[in-house]
Amino acid sequence: MGADFGLLSLILWFPLIGIILLFFIDRKKNITIKTIALIVTLIDFFLSLYLLYFFNPNVPSFQFVEKKNWIPFLNSYYHLGVDGISILFIPLATLTTLLCILISWYSIKEKVKEFYLALLFTNIAMVGVFLALDLLLFYFFWEAILIPMYLIIGIWGGPRRIYSTLKFFLYTFFGSVFLLIAIIYIYHLHGTFDYQLLISKNYSFAVEKLLFLGFLLAFAVKVPMWPVHTWLPDAHTEAPTAGSVILAGILIKMGGYGMVRFLLPLFPNASQYFIPLILILSVIAIVYAGLACLWQDDLKRLIAYSSVSHMGFVTLGIFSLNPVAIKGAILQMINHGIVTGALFMCVGVIYDRTHTRAINYYGGLASTFPLYAAFFMVFTLASIGLPGTNGFIGEFLILLGTFLSNKVMAALAASGVIIGAAYMLYLYKRVFFEKPKSHLYGLEPMKLAELAAIIPMVFFVFLIGLYPKYFLDLMTSSVNQVLLYFQ
Amino acid sequence: MFLQLNFQQIFSEIFIIIGASLLFLIDRFVKFRSYAFIFTLFLLLFLIVALFLTPFGKFTNSFSVDFYSATIKLFLYVGTLFIVFVFYHFLKNHPPLNYGEIYGLVLFSLLGAIIAVSALDLVTMYLGIELLSIPVYFLIAANGRYLKASPEGALKYFIVGCLSSVFFWLAIGVFYYLFGTFDLKNIFLNLNTVSQKGILLFGLLALLTAFSIKMALVPFHMWGPDAYQAAPIPVTAFLAGIVKLAALSALVKVLVIAFSPLRFDLPNFLIPIVLLTILIGNVLAIKQDDLIRMLAYSSIAHAGYAFLGILSAEFYGYAFAIYYMVVYLFTITGTFAILSYFCQVNRAYLSIPNLSGLSKALPSISLFLLIFLFSLAGVPPTAGFMAKFYVFLSLVKGQQVLVGILALLFSVIGAYPYLRVLKIMYMDPLPQTPRKASYGLSFIIPTYFTVFIVIILGLFPNLIAEFIQKTLFLYLSLLYFHF
Repeated sequence: MGADFGLLSLILWFPLIGIILLFFIDRKKNITIKTIALIVTLIDFFLSLYLLYFFNPNVPSFQFVEKKNWIPFLNSYYHLGVDGISILFIPLATLTTLLCILISWYSIKEKVKEFYLALLFTNIAMVGVFLALDLLLFYFFWEAILIPMYLIIGIWGGPRRIYSTLKFFLYTFFGSVFLLIAIIYIYHLHGTFDYQLLISKNYSFAVEKLLFLGFLLAFAVKVPMWPVHTWLPDAHTEAPTAGSVILAGILIKMGGYGMVRFLLPLFPNASQYFIPLILILSVIAIVYAGLACLWQDDLKRLIAYSSVSHMGFVTLGIFSLNPVAIKGAILQMINHGIVTGALFMCVGVIYDRTHTRAINYYGGLASTFPLYAAFFMVFTLASIGLPGTNGFIGEFLILLGTFLSNKVMAALAASGVIIGAAYMLYLYKRVFFEKPKSHLYGLEPMKLAELAAIIPMVFFVFLIGLYPKYFLDLMTSSVNQVLLYFQ
Repeated sequence: MFLQLNFQQIFSEIFIIIGASLLFLIDRFVKFRSYAFIFTLFLLLFLIVALFLTPFGKFTNSFSVDFYSATIKLFLYVGTLFIVFVFYHFLKNHPPLNYGEIYGLVLFSLLGAIIAVSALDLVTMYLGIELLSIPVYFLIAANGRYLKASPEGALKYFIVGCLSSVFFWLAIGVFYYLFGTFDLKNIFLNLNTVSQKGILLFGLLALLTAFSIKMALVPFHMWGPDAYQAAPIPVTAFLAGIVKLAALSALVKVLVIAFSPLRFDLPNFLIPIVLLTILIGNVLAIKQDDLIRMLAYSSIAHAGYAFLGILSAEFYGYAFAIYYMVVYLFTITGTFAILSYFCQVNRAYLSIPNLSGLSKALPSISLFLLIFLFSLAGVPPTAGFMAKFYVFLSLVKGQQVLVGILALLFSVIGAYPYLRVLKIMYMDPLPQTPRKASYGLSFIIPTYFTVFIVIILGLFPNLIAEFIQKTLFLYLSLLYFHF
């Protein structure tokens, strides 16, 4: 197992080496800066694969646990661990950062050093969120991610980037306030931040409901659930490609992860009590955001709204409270990170060439830019959930599980699949088919770094789509463990 | 009554007096302008060393060297040390102000701070607070060469300072009427004998008013922005950091020694004041275009956050209030060191819109300012977050959950002014490249050290927080349980 040699700390803090190195490099040496960032994240990704390899899926509890004193006075520990719920997010986070560096290779031209510093910092915070088993440590990473994301959206984003980044920051900061108060209150009641101790503690029902709402508000803003989703279309749309990919790939997964990790085990009674509320909000998100997609005339905005719709499936699956749906929801988060991240990368590729995201600017790209059209097709179909792609597995499991516990909601949510097919295919038709527009001829072919960023995503789309058993087996025992709290 | 005079307890204070007086005496005869800085620097280093050598004990019954005063003194010395570097950097670039008297006034003010936190009776504490304030009036007015409004700001501070003294005397009078003593410990011992609780609370209210004027709490905050803006930059740092820390520590000392049984009555009238302080400070900071004025309003809000610890009515809430002020002291010192650099490059940079795109021209300084501002906003991994966390933790422990939620919501508003500065620095275009100005050690030492402290305290907050908290407990237990 190698539990004692601090693999989790190594994965978590490895990007720090890159950050320190970058500080000492002249800001004019762009190539050196990019190479260092690339190598550091590549090694970090391999370390996380190593972790995945040695992870034992049959153990429901935490593995590779590290526990050291952090703030002894508060009884707070530097406490890390992975289980079946979090294990897949670690490689996803490191992979996303790695691919973000590749996809930004040509598109980020100014303040290069700051950009890669921010990306590496984001990497630490993202991995930290998924590893932390101490509520204070979790909150620490949860909030720390705001700093680099604020800068990434605000400095390298599109025309309305400043409005978007302020909205993003203040929205999520607002949500987190309630999480902080809830965490402090839990500490006040039980005198510990330790997740493993807290799951066995009970609360009076009134307190539990309030704590649940405090956590839920923070997670719902991040996910984002309807009606607190309005920051997301702005932030996604205006962020640079790498920012959109991180937002779609990891940041909004933190909310869903938090729900599985904290809401269900810590507050089972309140979770049960609030099921109708969350299911209704999820279905509204699925249908409303899906319909909103049909109206969009901006490529990124459309994909952003589709994120809201897809994340509606995730929250629906989580609060269906049966193993199939929860496993589907976790897998769907991974899928969504891959597929939507890849779609944003694709949009970034074309945006770098044409400098517009307006859908009606495009048309007939399939004949003028065929390789690109093929990639986009794969991700479109995966987003719709075509059998054989990863999207199918996730959505199918969620709907199946939801049907077992709530037939009406499952039926309503299933309409979201149809809407999804409608908006994605309509988008594909508008951008890639029809008569090619004259200004779309002679686009620069895809560059090596872009291909290197997108091809792994294609690989994972089919890997999860064709052989989901490996990924589902990883989480089975841990998910069953979570559901034990509901019996 | 026999008075025991232990001069060994106050030899460092005597050194401060001699040193500061010497600066006043010889300043006109020394051609080498940096002498005063070097002299002050070595004096402060000597004081820090002397701190560890001075035995604990009392000089008369009203001045003591003990755990509490030694701890606070350490922070005051270290903070002043950094601020003195900022003074040197600032004065070097503003020769008309570059006189040894400036350092002399700083030393006298520091002496006042030390007396205030070491005092064991109310009159000595009053003298300390006055000595803390009076040199600052002059220091603010010293800026008159550069800013016409400077004497106005000083006069405003002077007048509210007088008001503060009036309230302080009122409080002392009331307590003398009730207890027949000025001594903090005797007040505590006689507290149960008082039948007129209304008058007692009135005296306490007057005392809190006196201190809230010094800390610029609402509704006595109006002088703050004017005085901050009027003062030379390092004086503003001194005013925001050292003066507030000293005043808060003195207040905590009075509250824990003399009035600890009354601590549950304090929230009744403090809650609206503190919440309004946070809200008004944060809201008014939003629209400010002047960087110092924005920081002045944010400083009002930060004093409010520190007072949340006192609202908690728990002893470690008091300790964390001091911790909050210590973190704020380091953060604001670093911020003002950077402001002093801006001043050196171009005075126009003190206006927020003029900072546009500055991160491109001054990347590392912008990064430092970013760290400081995020620390002020309270975002991890900076010290500001942990300081806020401790304060809110003590609030929840003290059963003031609703106050905590409101204060945290106000801190969301409070994040905006800092984000705005960062937005302008990082996200707006750079109109023209500013001329380069050399850094110099006097800039590097305060900024690099404070950045380091802010990050280290963000990652390992227990280094100082636990130290202060243990100090307070140890101090109280030694004070009351060894007789």
